[in-house]
Amino acid sequence: MEIRPIFSALMKSRTGPLLVAVQVAISLAILANALFIVQQRIAVSERPSGVAAERDVGHVYVRPLRKLSHPEVLAEQRREAAVLRGLAGVKAVAWTNQMPLSRSGSSSSVRATAEQVHESAQPSQYFVQPGFIQALGLRLVEGRDMTEADVMESDPEKDAEAIPPGVIVTESLGRALFPNESRFVGRTFYFGLGGEQATRIIGVIERLQTTGAQPGEAGEQSVLEPLRISQPGSHFAIRAEPGQIDRVLQEAAETLRKTAPVPVRTFTRSMEVDRTNRYRNEKALAWMLIAVSALLLLVTVSGIVGMTMLRVAQRRKQIGVRRALGARWRDILRYFVTENLIITTGGIAAGLLLALGLNRLLIAYLGVPRLPLEYLAVGAVALWMLGVAAVYGPAARAAGISPAIATRTA
Amino acid sequence: MFRYYLLLGLRSLRRNPALTALMVVTLAIGVAASVSTLTILHVMSGDPVPSKSRRLLVPLLDVGPRANYSPDRRDPYMTQSTYPDAMNYLRSGPGVRRTALYGVMASIEPARREDPLIDLSGIATTTDYFPMFDVPFRFGSAWSAADDERGARVAVLSKRKAEAIFGSKDPVGQRIRIWDTDFTIVGVVGDWNPVPRYTNLINGSGGYFEGEEQLMVPLKAATDLAAEPNGNVSCSHESAAGWAAFLASECTWIQAWWELASASDRPAAQAWLDAYVAQQQRGGRLERHAPNELFDVMQWMDFLKVVKPDSKLAVWLSIGFLVLCIVNTMGLLLAKFSTRAAEVGVRRALGAGRGAIFRQFLVETTVVGLAGGLLGLALSFASLALIRQQSKDLSAVAHMDWEMLATTFAIAVLASIVAGLLPTWRACQVTPALQLKSQ
Repeated sequence: MEIRPIFSALMKSRTGPLLVAVQVAISLAILANALFIVQQRIAVSERPSGVAAERDVGHVYVRPLRKLSHPEVLAEQRREAAVLRGLAGVKAVAWTNQMPLSRSGSSSSVRATAEQVHESAQPSQYFVQPGFIQALGLRLVEGRDMTEADVMESDPEKDAEAIPPGVIVTESLGRALFPNESRFVGRTFYFGLGGEQATRIIGVIERLQTTGAQPGEAGEQSVLEPLRISQPGSHFAIRAEPGQIDRVLQEAAETLRKTAPVPVRTFTRSMEVDRTNRYRNEKALAWMLIAVSALLLLVTVSGIVGMTMLRVAQRRKQIGVRRALGARWRDILRYFVTENLIITTGGIAAGLLLALGLNRLLIAYLGVPRLPLEYLAVGAVALWMLGVAAVYGPAARAAGISPAIATRTA
Repeated sequence: MFRYYLLLGLRSLRRNPALTALMVVTLAIGVAASVSTLTILHVMSGDPVPSKSRRLLVPLLDVGPRANYSPDRRDPYMTQSTYPDAMNYLRSGPGVRRTALYGVMASIEPARREDPLIDLSGIATTTDYFPMFDVPFRFGSAWSAADDERGARVAVLSKRKAEAIFGSKDPVGQRIRIWDTDFTIVGVVGDWNPVPRYTNLINGSGGYFEGEEQLMVPLKAATDLAAEPNGNVSCSHESAAGWAAFLASECTWIQAWWELASASDRPAAQAWLDAYVAQQQRGGRLERHAPNELFDVMQWMDFLKVVKPDSKLAVWLSIGFLVLCIVNTMGLLLAKFSTRAAEVGVRRALGAGRGAIFRQFLVETTVVGLAGGLLGLALSFASLALIRQQSKDLSAVAHMDWEMLATTFAIAVLASIVAGLLPTWRACQVTPALQLKSQ
C-alpha cells in the first residue's frame, strides 16, 4: 500500500484534514457518552414493575367528601370492591393504599435490629389484603401468601401506627435487611425507629416496584402489610380482560360515583399511563440525545464530504497525471479512502481520550456512571464506516477524472 | 468600505449557494441545539423574584431524634417545618412579614348530585402570603389578619379556576362548599404564576415548574377542619393517633417563609432562630443540636435541586455539538476561501493591505453568522415547541425571553466569527506575486 506518499501529502496541507480529525474526535466523544446515557435511561424505564401483564391493570381512587366513621369506611370498602367485581370485563379487584409507579404514597424506614442506628432501607408501604398478590400477578418466591388471619384491623384515629405481626417483603428489601442471607421467611425486623414490636416475614415476592420506582435497588424495596384500615380514600387495583382496561376504569369511576351514599371524588389511571408519566423525563432526555447524536453524525459526514471534495478539486491535475501514467480507477479511489482512513483514525484516537475525559467530567459534576468501553468501540466503528461511506462518493467521482486533463493547462 | 464589504459578503453568499447553505444550516443547527437547552436551564435556574429573592427566607430545623443523628447524613424528606414551629414563627418570628403554607386538596360539591365535582388543589396559608409574594388581585382582596385569627371560612381562587366555576364575572361574595363547609370567596388572584414555583416547591400538585395554586384558604380554617396535607409529610418520631396529635407532633409538613426589610437583616434573623431553638431545647425538643439553617430564594431552589442534573447534561452536550458545528463551518469556510486565492492576490497587488483583506473576509463570515443566527432562532423556536410537547414540566420552562433572544444572536455571531478567524487569517497569507504568476 502506498501509505507513505499519502501521509507526506497530508503533512503538506494539514489544516483541512486536521479540522476533519477534530470533528471526528468531538463526534466520538459526544456520541459515546450520549448513547451510553440514552441506553441507561431506556434501561431504567424498561425495568419490570413486578405486575404481570401490566397493560391490563389500572386503579381507581375514591374518596368521600364527608367524614365517615371507622365502621362506615370499612363497610364502604367492602361494598365498593363488590360493586367493582360486578362490572363487565373485570377479572380481579384488590383494595390498596397505593400503586406502583404512581408517584404518590407512603414509605417507612425499617431496621433489621432494634439497636441499629441507621435504617436498612426505606421501603414503600403497601397496605393490602388477601387477593392483592393474585390480582396484580406478583410472583411469590418464598413462604406463603397472606390469609384473612394475618389481616389486622386499624382505625388511624385511634391506633398510632398499626404494624401487622406478619408481612410480605420483596427480595430486594430482604437483601437490604439481611445482606448475608438468601432466605428471609421467619426473620423479623422493625418499622420506624425500631420501637418495641418486631414484624415477622411470612412470604417473599420476587418484585414489586415502589410508588416512585427510583433507579437502583431502592426502586424495588416494598413491603406488603396485611391491613384493613379506615383511611379516608381507597385505591382499588383492577385487572381487566385484555384490551378493556380503559373502558373498565371509566365505568368503575362512574359506578362508584353513582352508587356512593355520600358524594365522592374519584380518579382513575391505567398502569400504562402511570408508567408514561413516571418516565416522561427519562424519555425526553433520551430523545433529545438521540436527535443530537443524529445531527452530530450528519454534520461530521458533511464535513468529511466537503473536505474530500476540496482536496479532489485541488488535485484534479495530479489525478489526471496519475491516470495518464497508468493508475487505475481503483487506485485513485483507494488513495482517497486511505487518506480518509488516516484522518478518521487520528480523529478517533483523539476522540477516545476526549470521550473518557468528558465522561470524567460527567461523573464528577453530574453523577453519571463510568462509560463502558463497548460504547467507545461501537462509536469508533460507526465513525470509521461513516467516514468511508462519506468519502466514497467524492472519491469515486475523482477516480473518474479523465487522463486527458493532465495534458491541459489550468 | 464596510458597506462595500457587506455587499461583497452578500454577493459571495450567492456565488456558491450549496456550500453557503450548508454553512448556514450547520451553524443554525448548532445554535438551535445550544439555545434550546440553555433556554430551559435559564428558566429553571432563573430568579423568580429578583426584587425580593435575597430578603425572602425559609427557616429549616432538624427535628429528628438524637439516637440516629449523624451530621454527615441528611434526611432527604425533612425539608419543611413542624406545625408548632410554624405557629411560633408566625407569632413572634423576625422580619416584616411571615407566612406558612401547606398544600390542600378540596372538591366543590355540585348543587345537583349528578353533576361532576370540581377539584381544587391549593394551599392553606395566612394573609401575609399575598403581599409577601407580590400576588396581584383581579377581584376582591386577601382576607384579613382577623380572618386568620378566627380561621374564617373564606377563600381566594386562581383566575383560571374562578373563570371555570363562575365565568368571567366577579365571584366575590359567592360561596363554595368544600370539606363539608361553606366558604365565601373574598378574592380572585390575577395573572401570577412564578416559574419555578418557588413559594411552594414541595407541592402535591404539579411540581417545581408546572401547576398553580387554585385555592387559598386561611391556615386555621384548614387545620380546624382537619384538611389533610396534600404534599410531603415526614415523621421522624412516633406520634399518637388523630388530627390533634398530628398537629402537635414532630412531623414536618408546613413551609415557613419570612420577609426581611433588607437582606442585611439576615444575621439578626439567624440570631433569632438560634435563640428560638435554644429556648425549645430547654423544653426538651430539637435534641440533635444540628445547625439551624436559613435559605434565601436562590439558595432554597438550589437546596431542593430545582435544576435537575439532566438539564445541565443536555446543555453541556449541546455546547459540545455547537463546537463541532463551528469546526465544521471552519472547514467549509477554509474550502470556500481557498478557491478565492486569486481574487485576494489581485486585491493585494492593487494595494489592499492584509488588514483590508482581513476585514473583508470577516464581514463575509459575519454575514454567514447572521444568516445562521436567524435560521438558528427559527429552529430554536421550533425545537422549543417540540420540547414543550414532551411533558407539562417542560412546557412550563421551554419559553424564550428577551435575554435568551439576545443570547441566541450573540452565540450565532460569535460562533461564525470564531469559525471564520482561521480561514480569514489563511486568506490574508496569500502572497500576491505567487498568485498572479500562477494565472
